[in-house]
Amino acid sequence: METTAALRQALLADRERTLTHLYQRTFPMVRRYVQQHGGTAQDAKDVFHDALITFYEKVVGETLVLSASASTYLVAVCRNLWRQELSRRTRQPLVSLTDEHAEVAEAEVAEQPALSVLEQVERLGARCKDILLAFYYFQQPLEQIATAHQYRTVRSATVQKFKCLERLRTSVRALVATVTN
Amino acid sequence: MRPALDYLRQLEHYLLGQPTAAEAEAWRVRQLVDSELAADVAAQQLLYQGLQLAGRQQLRQELELIHARLERPARRHRWWQAATGSLRSLLAARRRSR
Repeated sequence: METTAALRQALLADRERTLTHLYQRTFPMVRRYVQQHGGTAQDAKDVFHDALITFYEKVVGETLVLSASASTYLVAVCRNLWRQELSRRTRQPLVSLTDEHAEVAEAEVAEQPALSVLEQVERLGARCKDILLAFYYFQQPLEQIATAHQYRTVRSATVQKFKCLERLRTSVRALVATVTN
Repeated sequence: MRPALDYLRQLEHYLLGQPTAAEAEAWRVRQLVDSELAADVAAQQLLYQGLQLAGRQQLRQELELIHARLERPARRHRWWQAATGSLRSLLAARRRSR
């Protein structure tokens, strides 16, 4: 069984390869479970992707310590997610507007400003977008980002990262100013 | 690093780094008396939330690509098995009858 630290290193060093390996080992088990419990292959894929995203964030954020293999953990998470989804689907036809709906609506409203930032991220050039996501979301070390983008020093990569953040900040401010005027 | 970028770096240290208890307290007090600083802190937090959403979106796209790549050969294999199924059972029956 791989340690969480080794898995984190592998995800940071080669995300695509590590995720592909996890996918090959785990998705067939998730698909079988979901299909045996009233779901489709598409449902299985959706549940698996949600679980993998949370898993990635927890592993690179060092907020998860695995006590079983990554596959076993992911299958267990997917089973829970699918059970929750099934119970939501069973409840939904009978329910009109509830507190739960109100909470979801509130969460969506709260997320709205961040969604505007998301739009602006998409408008940054590919290089800036890549640097910002590599650092802030994928949590890659600056040494790795510097190498990937051919910066001679980590300091140059750091300066570039802040320049990109400044560009994003300026575009978001301009957007906010347009909306409020 | 020019002053505007260094300012962003300081905000980042406060928001994402590990400021000491004394540093964190000093920042909290500064924000109470400096509304511009408080607004800048809020703006930077918003940028990080947006980047989180953008990162998730990208990871989801990467997972879709992995899924498509891994599922394609399986589908082709299933198609090939279906297309040659009757021929294969004919050959198997012949082998058994020998």
